[in-house]
Parts: sequence; structure tokens; C-alpha cells
Amino acid sequence: MAPPLPPGLTPSEVGFLCEMEHVTVIPRQTLDGLELLGGPTGALKPPFPTPLPLWLALLLKKQRRANITPPPWLSVEALTQILDFETDERTAELFSPSPNLPPATTSAPLGDAATARAQADALPYHWLEIGHLLITHAADDFDDLDAVRKLLRDLREVRMSKLRKGFEVLDAGGGVKMNGVGGMEIAEVRGFVGGVVDGLRRLNRSREESRKERETEERENGLGSSSYRDDEDEDML
Amino acid sequence: MASYYSPTAILTDAQKAPATFSLAVPALSHSPLNNNSGTPITPATTLDLPLWLAEMLAVSRPSGPASAPLATLDMPSALGPKVMNALTADATSVELRQQAQWFYGLGERMLELFEDEEMGAVLLTTFKQRALEIADKAQNTRTAQQGGDSGDFMSGLDETERQLFRAAHDGTHAVKRWFEATSRG
Repeated sequence: MAPPLPPGLTPSEVGFLCEMEHVTVIPRQTLDGLELLGGPTGALKPPFPTPLPLWLALLLKKQRRANITPPPWLSVEALTQILDFETDERTAELFSPSPNLPPATTSAPLGDAATARAQADALPYHWLEIGHLLITHAADDFDDLDAVRKLLRDLREVRMSKLRKGFEVLDAGGGVKMNGVGGMEIAEVRGFVGGVVDGLRRLNRSREESRKERETEERENGLGSSSYRDDEDEDML
Repeated sequence: MASYYSPTAILTDAQKAPATFSLAVPALSHSPLNNNSGTPITPATTLDLPLWLAEMLAVSRPSGPASAPLATLDMPSALGPKVMNALTADATSVELRQQAQWFYGLGERMLELFEDEEMGAVLLTTFKQRALEIADKAQNTRTAQQGGDSGDFMSGLDETERQLFRAAHDGTHAVKRWFEATSRG
């Protein structure tokens, strides 16, 4: 049997998927609306801002046909505010909250997470990837590029260290509260956390099984103390 | 029972545990199991048998439900009281690899056969503490390579822990690679 692929998305896959998110684009040339598989995009009439999927926005940017507006949360003020929230001692257990999600649609695009109408005080799911892509390829659209880059890096470090602290409460049966953690951050720790929880589960298995047997015995009160299912090798005649 | 095709399960089951025979088995005197010595296997001979064989013998009832099994199984030394005490004292300083290459697998199989709550609890806390240490080391690979005594911890990891370390390291590495790849294009 071929070695199985690791379960879940790898970081490069997450990075690829983030390009489905919409960003606000200020076109420099007119372009008709495109009939994409995910749905039609609006026509581009400069200078009106239009939402487009990130991959298309990056392509147009490279061809100098458009500029990308950084979403409100990707500014120095917003990132500083979020960083203060994260580093505050009182929120050592929490991550900064995610934006209010729109009512669930059937598929991507995932709402306005990265457009000009995004919520300015919350990091959307793909904040790390979108932030990185925008500062790399749309550098001139930012007011203070170095500050934004530094803030993104600081945010990433703070959140990763919080995640690692959360490892201590991993348990065989329990879940970990991870509200607000981004896609790339999860992808980074997925292999490790999955391995640890699996190992704990296996070590706990015999305890789990004996606990379950005891519970089923207690439920079937009339059978007395011995269970017929105890020893599979014996035939009860 | 562990999965049939998994190399991990096969290697785990190949680890040895002491088994005491309760009857004579003259035909096995020259087998590799007996270190190829000619000494006959009489009742009360204790040999180190691989887990899959030892378990079969310990569970078998050759003459029906009431008879004694062919051999009794003891706890291997890797899970003995000395190791357990060392783990309770300081889990990260014990060289698990020396005890058994697939230490946690061995512990899991033993827990299946013997219901030892205390050993189960010790193994769980050990696993968690060492996992935290592994996460630490996976982050700071540069300092780990230079540091001398951290090499002891890394060489003392058993196979499951090595896979954990690789998973943690791969995750960080993959993210870094994605950042570099997108910066170029």
C-alpha cells in the first residue's frame, strides 16, 4: 500500500485556496465582466472600485491594469490595534475574534473578508496569506509598507506562541478552543497536533474500552456483575 | 488487533516480552527463539518472545476453556517499575529509544493485555510532556543542532516521537516554502 497522504490541507494548498477570496480592485483600464466558474465578475470601469477574486486581481496588477485596495484590517492602525489585543495579558487564552460571517452560501467566495468593506477590527480566516500576497505584489498600494510587514510578522509570532501554549491542554478525548485561528496557522500545526491527539487516543484506548464496558453494564442492570462479553475465548454453554 | 498492513504495527509486535512456558516444548530447543542453544524448553523456562507469539501463547487454551494457557506473559523490562519511576520523576530525560524502539506501541499492546491503570496514566503524562518538548525543539532547529545536550533528547526519542517531530518540522518548513514561492512569482 502506498504511503498515505497526510490528512487535511498542506500550507501550500491553503495558500492556493486563499486566492479565491475577493479583494477590491481599482481598475486602470476598462474590461468587460468575465464569466468565471465561480460566478460572473463585474465589468471594470475605471475609476470605480470593483470586487474581484484575488488571483485575478494579482494578475491584473502584474499587467499594470489595476491597483488593489488593501482591506481595512490590513492597515497600520488596524493591525496595531489587533496586535495590542493579542499581546494584552488578559487575552492570553484567546485569539482575536474573526469577523462576523455572512449567512453561509454554498461555496466561495467567502464573503467580503478582504474587500474594502471588510471589518476593520478582525482578522479574517486567510489573513496571513492574503496579507503576504498583497504586500509582496501590491507594494505600491500601501501607505507604509514596512510598518505593515513588521506588524504582520509580529502578529504571526504572537499567535503562534499562543497556539503552542495551547498544546499543553491537548487530551485524548477533548477538543481545543481555537476560535479565530487562521488557515495558514492551522496548516502549520495540523500534522503535529493530529499526531499528538492520535497517540494520546491510542494510549487511552484500553481505559476507554473498560470505561465503556462498565457503562453498558450499569445500563443493563438486570444482568448482574459479570458480562457475557468479557472473555471472547470462552464459550458459555 | 493492530492493522495487518501497517509496518508500524508489524515492527511494534516484533518487540520482545518475557514469557514463561508452562509445559515442555522439546521441538523448539534449537530454534532462534531459544538463542539456538540446545537447552530443552521445560516448564518454567522464561524466554523473550516476540509480542505476537507471546500473546498467542498466553491467550490460547489448548484443551478447552478450563485448561491453563501454554505460557504466561510478563511485563517487558521496558515497562517495568524502574522505567515507570524514572518517567514519573522526569519524563523528558528518559531515553525511550534504549528501552524499546516502538515504546508507546509496546505500552499500548501491554495495556490491551493487562489492565494497568497506573501504567496507562504514567504513559499518558509522559507522552504529553515529551510532545511539548518535541514541539519546542522542532521550532528552534538551529539552536538544537548546535546544542550538545539536546542531542541526547533527540536520540532518545522512540519512533512515534520521531514522526511527531518530523510532522512539526514539516509544517513550519512548508509554510516557509510557501512564503518564498509566492515572493518570487
